[in-house]
Amino acid sequence: MSEALIEPVKQLIIDALRIEGLSCADIDSDAPLFGDGLGLDSIDALQLVVAMEKEYGVVVPDAATGTKVFQSVRSMAAHIAEQRK
Amino acid sequence: MNCFMFPGQPLSRSDRLPEDAGWCQVVELCRRHAGFDPESWRGEEGECGGNVALQLYGVAMSLYGARLLAQKGVKPRIVAEHSMGIYAALACCGVVAEEAALEIASRVGRAMARMGRTRRYALGCVVGLTMEPLLVVAENHGVYLANRNTDRHFLLSGERGRIEAAMAEAVASGAFSARSFPCDAPLHTPLMAELEPELREVFADYRYQEPVIPLMNHIDQELLTGAEIAEFMLRELRLPVQWEQSYRALRRAGVNHFLEVGGGDSLKKYNRWIDSQSSRS
Repeated sequence: MSEALIEPVKQLIIDALRIEGLSCADIDSDAPLFGDGLGLDSIDALQLVVAMEKEYGVVVPDAATGTKVFQSVRSMAAHIAEQRK
Repeated sequence: MNCFMFPGQPLSRSDRLPEDAGWCQVVELCRRHAGFDPESWRGEEGECGGNVALQLYGVAMSLYGARLLAQKGVKPRIVAEHSMGIYAALACCGVVAEEAALEIASRVGRAMARMGRTRRYALGCVVGLTMEPLLVVAENHGVYLANRNTDRHFLLSGERGRIEAAMAEAVASGAFSARSFPCDAPLHTPLMAELEPELREVFADYRYQEPVIPLMNHIDQELLTGAEIAEFMLRELRLPVQWEQSYRALRRAGVNHFLEVGGGDSLKKYNRWIDSQSSRS
């Protein structure tokens, strides 16, 4: 279930964060989203929280949950899959 | 219609510095007029600590960015600034020379560093709370709103222990994230009044030309005249940055293309958030 969400989540990241010149294929599903990976920050994280809620009706209630959810594309996909059950 | 946006102090330096002649020229200006080398990260002994270095690095990166855009033939129709972005913005608008912009930034930064030798201050970055609960947190801990960047991105400023306590309460109140950063002085708060006599003299040492490009200020979104510059630089040290209001005013003025001139992309990200919220309402 969550595997099928990998590509849509990558596209959600690109669209929500308006990342130019980056395709889904350029994003490693397991790379960290913050710091050395995609280099996202807390401004981006809140943008992704809102985008996930709008697209999938899934909430990230607090920073502690966010830290786990936004570890990678795969962890985002897993969170969405889990919340949609 | 485009706008050059000049950001404030970066939180860190980039891993990669430019290597071209334009950058080398800016580095030399910074060495000569600000007493700091953005390449070796060395400054005048004992006077160029972490925050002063970052402030000057930020100004240098903005001056370099403006030079690059000019070389490409990109000229701003209007200029906006955020916090310490004012100094590079002044140079971009022809109000002062690049040398003076660096020198003013250096003198302001070093004055703030001296303020930080006797007391400990911090900034608190709060993401996710709305304004109302944020102001309650600020009031509860005796700290101040320093930046209103969007309706969910704020910076508080004040004494370090109070900021740290405010960050804990912000998280407990539902903030998505709340982090504190040590700083030299409580920028954009009334506490900065203590530096006003000294900085009034600093700003009086320079001549300010009329901006050749309209320059919007971040306090009340009016366009600055040459005669208003020195007073604005004093006022902005003790009043919060109103970035969301600035962005909306620029949009209303017809700006549809924003270029962030300097290191980082935080202003672009704030703009992105404001746009996304506007499209939802």
